Amino acid sequence: MTSVSRWVLVFYCIYLLLPLYWLMTMALRTNSDITGKFEVIPSNPTLANFAEIVTNPVWYQAFGNSLSYVVLNTLISICVALPAAYVFSRYRFLGDRQLFFWLLTNRMAPPAVFLLPFFQLYSSIGLFDTPLAVALAHCLFTVPLSVWILEGFMSGVPSEVDEMAKIDGHSFPYFFFRIFIPINRGAIGVTLFFCFMFSWVELLLARTLTGSTTKPIVVVMTRTVSASGLDWGVLAAAGALTVVPGIIVVWFVRKHLVKGFALGRV
Amino acid sequence: MLRIQNVLLNPGLNCGFDHDFLPGGMTVVLGRNQAGKTNLCRLIAGLSTQAVGELSLNDETLNKLSPQKRSVAVVFQAFVNYPNWSVQQNIASPMVAAGRDKAYIQSRVVELAEKLGLGELLQRMPNELSGGQQQRLAIARALAKEAQVLLLDEPLVNLDYKLREALALELRSLLDDSDTTVIYTTTDPKDAFTLGDDLLLLEGGNKLQAGVPLCVYQKPNTFAAANLMSDPGINTFAWSTLTDQTFAQQSQAAGGVSALGGVRPEHLFFVDKSEFNAEECIGFDLQVSALETSGDETFVHGVVQASNRGLSGHQLSDRQLSDPKYSDHKLPDPGTVNQPSWVVRSPGMLNFSQGQVLLVAVQKRDILAFGGQ
Repeated sequence: MTSVSRWVLVFYCIYLLLPLYWLMTMALRTNSDITGKFEVIPSNPTLANFAEIVTNPVWYQAFGNSLSYVVLNTLISICVALPAAYVFSRYRFLGDRQLFFWLLTNRMAPPAVFLLPFFQLYSSIGLFDTPLAVALAHCLFTVPLSVWILEGFMSGVPSEVDEMAKIDGHSFPYFFFRIFIPINRGAIGVTLFFCFMFSWVELLLARTLTGSTTKPIVVVMTRTVSASGLDWGVLAAAGALTVVPGIIVVWFVRKHLVKGFALGRV
Repeated sequence: MLRIQNVLLNPGLNCGFDHDFLPGGMTVVLGRNQAGKTNLCRLIAGLSTQAVGELSLNDETLNKLSPQKRSVAVVFQAFVNYPNWSVQQNIASPMVAAGRDKAYIQSRVVELAEKLGLGELLQRMPNELSGGQQQRLAIARALAKEAQVLLLDEPLVNLDYKLREALALELRSLLDDSDTTVIYTTTDPKDAFTLGDDLLLLEGGNKLQAGVPLCVYQKPNTFAAANLMSDPGINTFAWSTLTDQTFAQQSQAAGGVSALGGVRPEHLFFVDKSEFNAEECIGFDLQVSALETSGDETFVHGVVQASNRGLSGHQLSDRQLSDPKYSDHKLPDPGTVNQPSWVVRSPGMLNFSQGQVLLVAVQKRDILAFGGQ
């Protein structure tokens, strides 16, 4: 590699990591410190901001709320998308292509379009302010995405494997759960990651469909800005913690993520 | 015994055929691409296919049984194994599905793996195996099912030719002492002789002929059957152009109205004009157009001369070409009959120059006559 391209890479990495680094330093400084002076490396770091988050129920409950609907959404999405993707990859039926494309177009619509109908619908059937409400609303976007990703991977598995299992004498459920799903575990990992990330960072629906009891972390963060002045340090600490689950999930699916991108379905 | 009745292998056919497969033996199903070989296998295995027909195994009808319940094992052309299971789990799969006890499965897996040369590889995953090993694994799994019918759908096509020959011989010895009915599909006529106890010729979804491979080779019913069993393709001439009238009439009397003569490339031999025996042989003048040498054999391509020893200016008349009896099976198009390009398959290294005119002869008993019923 030439020195020029090496420097380009170095600068690019700094450019990418700088905001994240700044978030971390802010999380380790007090409010007066942050507003008072410019520091690249914190001179007197403190964990007080993180302590505030783990002790204050407003913060840690918000994390819990977020996690509950995110996990719920991810589970629903994968359970619905697995059989759907299998059918799309294995069977030809009237309008299959159109249906498949229609799934994708759902993904194109901005979430804001569905705000009002969801709000009214969930209020009238008593789902408002529950984790299930947000999870179901997010499914509108994550299920098509999941089907789309999974179908790509599943089509890569030769259909002779299905037939082989039949001839060997395995029942369909045995084949699907003991052979087919393990073959596609990488795909499922990638799908989980995308469902998780969508649901975790989505703000509009999460804010609209939750009330006081199930406020998710993204909402608490935005509300803190407008409430008691600006608590920079705690906000930064919460932001830093928000990044953590994403990193953990990426860590587990990193190998398959590359394959997913290569297949062009992600 | 596996019996198929009224089988339509390809869509658009309107006349089905019947066949009884040789019980406990190996039937080679020979046909070109699109002949319906794979459709036949899928029909017997119960997989989705365009082929339709009645199947029965030991007088019990198979059609309503799901693939899981049929006593049929399959080896596909592509190396199909479960990618997430080790060699051991792969071989064990049909026995696990059948609910055998663990000790039996264990011993049977080891036995089959040893037989197929996979003994050292039991813990490997299929993608860590070479192509030949993957196909052996597929064969081992098919054998593990202990089915009454074993379908081998061009199992060796994706292997290199040495491996193919070795594995073909192994298959033969593996299956020789079993009482499994084996169906082996292939495009290579050689396989019919090396592997087949019985032979079924297919073309375009139709049954051309069936029988012991050598009998089919010696007495093909139709031109298509003869051509299918010949590699390279059969040489043809118009029967009416034979100059040896006595022979032409004898054979016509024996075989009905014959219109097309066929000579297998391997039955032609080069002779000196002085040694040519007109009593037993028919001779043709061949102008060499190309040579193909493979070391032990030479394929001599050439054009049969218009004015020659065996044939007189040979033309198929229009009447003969439009004769409905040709429409059943594909005959070479009239152009190639009028200007026949022939191949002689001769042992040894031959060195002829292009354009040279040679005398090739064929024993009268080796000449095939087609066209009559």
